[in-house]
Order: sequence, then structure tokens, then C-alpha cells
Amino acid sequence: MGEGTAKQATTAYDIEAVREKYIGFETAKATGRYAVERDPIRRHCHMVDDNNPLFIDAEYGEASPHGATVCPSSGWLALYFASLGPWPAAFEPLFPLVPTPGKRIINMSQEVEWSRRIKVGDRLSVVRRIADVYQKGVSLDPEAVWIVAEAIITNQRDEDVCVIRNTLLTHRTPEEVAGGAT
Amino acid sequence: MKRTQICWEDVAVGDALEGFSLDITPRRVALQVSGSQDWYPVHFDPGFARKAGHPDIFMNTGFLQAALVRVITDWMGDEGFLRRLRMEMRRQQRPDDTMVCKGRVTGVRLEGVEGVVELDVWAENEREGVTTPGTAVVELPRRRVERTLSC
Repeated sequence: MGEGTAKQATTAYDIEAVREKYIGFETAKATGRYAVERDPIRRHCHMVDDNNPLFIDAEYGEASPHGATVCPSSGWLALYFASLGPWPAAFEPLFPLVPTPGKRIINMSQEVEWSRRIKVGDRLSVVRRIADVYQKGVSLDPEAVWIVAEAIITNQRDEDVCVIRNTLLTHRTPEEVAGGAT
Repeated sequence: MKRTQICWEDVAVGDALEGFSLDITPRRVALQVSGSQDWYPVHFDPGFARKAGHPDIFMNTGFLQAALVRVITDWMGDEGFLRRLRMEMRRQQRPDDTMVCKGRVTGVRLEGVEGVVELDVWAENEREGVTTPGTAVVELPRRRVERTLSC
């Protein structure tokens, strides 16, 4: 692909138009198909050999001050129960909603602020919001686009559970960068 | 048997959180996908990862977060409460790495009657040093407050 094509492709992506259209965009509230279950928690713990009985021993959890099996304080697991899992997800991830030159993605940071614990039997819901979109080049892609996405998780009593904030880097493949693709 | 409960009064700046290590084996990569239900191929398909410009697959956010949360929850006991965790995926944990996760107390304060502790937590490996730095804020039960506590 020649220089002219690359230049044309570069100007085709209008970050200001994307920012104006998508920053502040908020999804309708989605509710997880199932209540918070033990087995996804067990699998989650297994991946890092987390043998905490509060998370994986039903009798221990019920005898604890919390009166139930507790879900580890993972924003990832909260989002899973609120809609992203079990398969099929109630919605697609936010990333494809925001147009970006590249379709590859890296999660660069995550912040989770907790208001209360999640317990087995809870029913979680989520509202997702685009907090920011900006363009900042990285070594992989000089036209990388960053998306700051928030997820506000609530429970069956409509109480705040946690707020999750991800900073996602979207980029093109080296082949696409060399070709000037957008 | 009930686990040992640490109390706010037991904690001082500089205290270490013991942490743990995990070898990033093919089995661990599979456990990562199972446990996170993250099907993005950059975390299990080397060809896909290389085409994107990465040297190899790398472990996903759900896995890294579960590891840092384990460092904290192993330490804070059943009655501790994790208020906030922020983590940055600066470098990667890849196959054949040994991921070591640790923590350290960086602040101890009271907010009214609440005993609050600030932490640094991180994942590291021999190849790249600290890959995933994080900060956390935890509430711990207090000895001198009249509540039904175990410490």
C-alpha cells in the first residue's frame, strides 16, 4: 500500500468525532442470566490455586460472619455474573461499539472500588459507560486508541456493589500498521 | 477450622504480605481460560498473539487480578474488606515464567472507627521484574471496637 493510501486512511479516522459521539455513552442496565453460583467461583479460585474456604467451602462460608459463600473481590468475576458470562453473554464487550483503527486490544489497567461483598445467590446487574476515548501512539501502533470504560455493578436490592474502570488499548497488527490500514 | 484473623492494631507500615508463586505452564494457561472465561485468543493462541506483535501469549487481566486479590485476601482474613484495588498491566506474564505475587503495607490510618490499611501489591517474574504493580485499600477489624469480632 502506497504513502498516499496510508495518508488517506489516517485522515479517515476522526478521533474528535468519535469522542463527541461516544464519551458518556451508557448502556441500558443488563442483569446476569443466573444468580452468583459456586462453580464459577471455584474455577476462578482454581486458576491461581486460591484455597480460601470462604470462597470454596459452602459450610465454612455459611458458618462465617457473612452467612454464605463469598465471591472473591474480583471485578472480573463481578462482570461475569452481571452479564459477560455464562455463555452466551447478555451483551458484547464495549470495545466493538467504539470504532477504532485497530481491532486488537490490551487491557492496560483496571481499578475496582467495592461497596459491599458479593455472595452466592446474589443477582447482579451492570450499567456500562464510556468515560473517555483518546488517541495516543505506542510502539506497536502510532495511531493506537485508548478507551476508558466503566461498569457499575448493583445487586438484587439495587445496592451498589462495585465500580470497575478499565483502560483498554486498541491497536492494529504490525502488518496493518505497515499497510496504513484503519 | 476458622482462619486466623489479623486486626488493624497488628499492622505496621513496611509489613510484608507473604504472597505465593505460580509457574506459567500450559496447564496454568488452560486454567486461566477456564477460570476467567476470557476467550480472547491473545491469551492462548501463540499465532494470534504473534500476529498482533507480541512475542508470545500472555496471561489475562482476570488471572492477574485473581492473583493479586489472593495475596490480599489470604492476608486480611475473613473479616477484612477490600475497598479498592488498582492494577496496571505494564509487562507480561508468559509461558515458562514463574509469576511471584507479593505485597507490602504502605499506610495505616483510622477513618472514624474504621481501621484502614493501604497496600502495594504486585506480580513479578525473573524475565521482566515487576509486571503488574497495584495499590489497594483494605478495612480490617479493630480489637478495641465493641463488635462481634474474632481478634
